[in-house]
Parts: sequence; structure tokens; C-alpha cells
Amino acid sequence: MVADIIVDVTGETCPVPLVEMRKAVMKADKGKVIVIRGTHGASREEIPMAVDSLGLKLLKTEETDGVWQIFIER
Amino acid sequence: MQERIYMDNSATTRTDPAVVEAMIPYFTDQYAVASSQFSHTPGIQAREALDQARAIIAGTMHADPESVVFTSGGTESNNLALKGTAWAFRGKKDHLIVSKTVHNSVLHSAQWLEKQGFRVTYADVDDQGFVDPDDIAGLLTDQTFLVSVQHANHETGTLQDIGAISDRCRKKEVLFHVDACRTLTMIELDLGTIPADLVSVSSHLVHGPKGVGALYIRPDTKIQKWQHGGYHEFDRRAGTENVAGAVGFGKAVELTKPEHTEAVRDMQKDLLDGLMSGIEGTVLNGAADLSRRHPGNVNVSFNRIEGESVVLHLDMKGISVITGSACFSRSLEPSYVMMAMGFTHERAHGSIRFTLSRFNRPDEIDRVVESSREVVEALRRISPLK
Repeated sequence: MVADIIVDVTGETCPVPLVEMRKAVMKADKGKVIVIRGTHGASREEIPMAVDSLGLKLLKTEETDGVWQIFIER
Repeated sequence: MQERIYMDNSATTRTDPAVVEAMIPYFTDQYAVASSQFSHTPGIQAREALDQARAIIAGTMHADPESVVFTSGGTESNNLALKGTAWAFRGKKDHLIVSKTVHNSVLHSAQWLEKQGFRVTYADVDDQGFVDPDDIAGLLTDQTFLVSVQHANHETGTLQDIGAISDRCRKKEVLFHVDACRTLTMIELDLGTIPADLVSVSSHLVHGPKGVGALYIRPDTKIQKWQHGGYHEFDRRAGTENVAGAVGFGKAVELTKPEHTEAVRDMQKDLLDGLMSGIEGTVLNGAADLSRRHPGNVNVSFNRIEGESVVLHLDMKGISVITGSACFSRSLEPSYVMMAMGFTHERAHGSIRFTLSRFNRPDEIDRVVESSREVVEALRRISPLK
């Protein structure tokens, strides 16, 4: 899966990952794939909630060595 | 996406379309400045429009129109009230009192005056945000020239007993300043019965345009002009008059009806009841007695979650509110208002402010309560705080 936009928020805590994810979503064109990469556990749970609220498509979530990546389609 | 619900009316309000309409001629046709009144007809018309707006604003406070000075907004009015009186008393008296929960435009002006050699006492509030008028009386000295309080607090909506504080000040011949930016038109302020010496008001909080406000200055009040460069506004505030803004401000005040306050108060009660009964672990911040609270203010904390997440998730559901948490500004300090009330960091960070206006509708309340419940429950499931 090819990412059109990568938002790297590793090391950041709430609410920064959610804020940065929203900024990326607002700028992205419809159909673009946005990847949010972070380490904060609560944000990993919170971002899919936001995806649902905003009517976006959650493609997949993966995690390696404490770094998670959430793939979203605008 | 559903229609957006705006409940951040303590930050700013929607400009009434009738206000915009009233202002337009002062940009397009009647654009002369009021100080040209001695030179030409358009200047005379501008002066008349300005003074008509002034009379409307003065009238709503039962004040003499010539005691109302237009400013650029509430912040400038508060700056002028504090710095103008301080400079007028310089060398004679050096002490002023402000409550700990006043707006930053008062608080920061007081802090600046301290750097200039004035002494400031920051009066305590109780856990609902009330200033005790007897505490104020006990703080007055023969060096005190000014007491400044906020009629309704911008975060909690707590209403101060300005009548009682005014009495205490008058007995000691101390000037009394009220920041009434959030209560103008919502709660009657009769300067005949509550003899405040200085009152700050703002247009954009009453459905008028941004960039205009006013300071009521009781006749014979000692105050030093603060902005120089002309003789405008009875030689109290230099600068080309914002005629269009003043006309809009006047129109906004003129459009206000007592039933607007009642309608907002009804929505406040329904919103508060819905949140308190529908969401376990919700606590009210500010005055518990709604008759001692701004009619449009509901400020609550949801236990075990932080305010900024609630705000972001409500925004994504099309609802605009704000939090007392300062995380957005990257400051570690939560709301100084909440901390002055003796709250824990957790409660202050969790506070959410819903503020209503006459442009909100009763049918919006159910959606806000239901969305808040969904967001709070979802956030609590992932919250590390138990």
C-alpha cells in the first residue's frame, strides 16, 4: 500500500497526533492515502475513533517495536 | 456532515445579519469620519450615526451618552480602565485590587502596572469563583484607587455581586471597574442603582462586529488619556472613529430583547440537566445556582478524561466548544481561572465550556448531549486514568 502523505508524530502525546492527523486530512484530496506514524498508545486508539467520526476509511493498522502506523483513505 | 452547532459564544458570537446590513452604508456611501463634522455634510452625518450608536449603548446601561467612549474592543477598554486610572493617581495612590479570575486583559494590565511601581492585590475567589465583597472591603487601604472585577467570568459564567462590591468601594471612595463584556444585553446593568465608575463592554460578544467596544466612564472620574494623537471621544481616546463598527455595535444592542435571555437560560438548564444526568462522572464548574451564573454558560469536567480530546472529537461531530486545558498552546499550566478556584489539575484539564447565544436552538441540545455522551464513553474506554 503506497502512502501519499506520511504524518510522523513519534514521541508526541495527546492531542498532537490527532491534531496533526486532522490537518493532513483537511489538506488531502479525496482518495489519497494518509499514514499516521506514532508511539502514543492512547492516540492509536483515538485516531480510529476520529476516522469514524469524519466518515473516512480505515485501511489498516500495524505495529512494530512500539511504533504504530495507521493507514487512512481520505 | 450534519449542520455545525456553535457553542463557543463566550469567545465570540455570530454577527447578526441585520447588523451587517446596518453597517454596509458606512463602508460604501457614508464613509466620512465623524471628526469632519465641522467641515462637511457627510462628516455631520457620520457624527450623528456615531452619537446615535453611543446613545443606544449608554441607554442600555442607563448612562449618560457622553460617558461612553468607543474603543477597539473589551481588551482596550480594560487596559484604559486600569492604566488610565493608575496614571491619573500616580504619585497620590498606588494600590489596586483585581480578582484572581479576571480576564487576561485586566490581569496582564495589573501585572504590567506592578512593574511600573504600583502595588496589586489579587483577591481570592471561592470554589465556585465568587469574590466575597467583605474580603474586598478588608483589602481596601487609604492607598487603594481601584477595584476591578468581572461581572460574568468568561470561563465559568460565575456572576459577581457587583452591587455589594460597589457599595464597599463607594464607602471608601475607591473607583470600581466592572468588566461587563459578557453580560451586556444578557443581564441588566443599571448604573443608576449600581454605581460602577468604569464599565467595559464589547461588540462582538453581543452579535455585533469585532474591533469595537466601549468604556463607560462616570463623569468626574480621574482617568488619564492613554492613546494620543487627536481629540476624539471627548479627548479620552485618540484615533479615527470606527463609525461602521459603532453603528453595528449600536444595532446589535438595539436588536436585543429580554426574551432572548430567557430562551438562552432555558437552553442552559436543558443542556446542564442533560449532561449531568446523562453522563456519569460529570461535575459542574462555577456557580451552582443558575441565577448567579451567566445564562449562556455551562462549564463541566468529565472525570478521567482530558478536555482537549473531548473538544477535538466533538469538533469532528460538528460541535464547536472549548476546553480549560492548555495543552493546545503547549503550556503545561491549565486554566488560571480553574486553578484560582482551587481545582486539581485533572479537573481543570478536563473542563469543557459550552456557551450559548440566541442563535442556538433548543433542538441542538439533545444532539450535543448525545454526542458528548458518545465521546466521553469512548475516551474513557481508552483512558489510562481510572
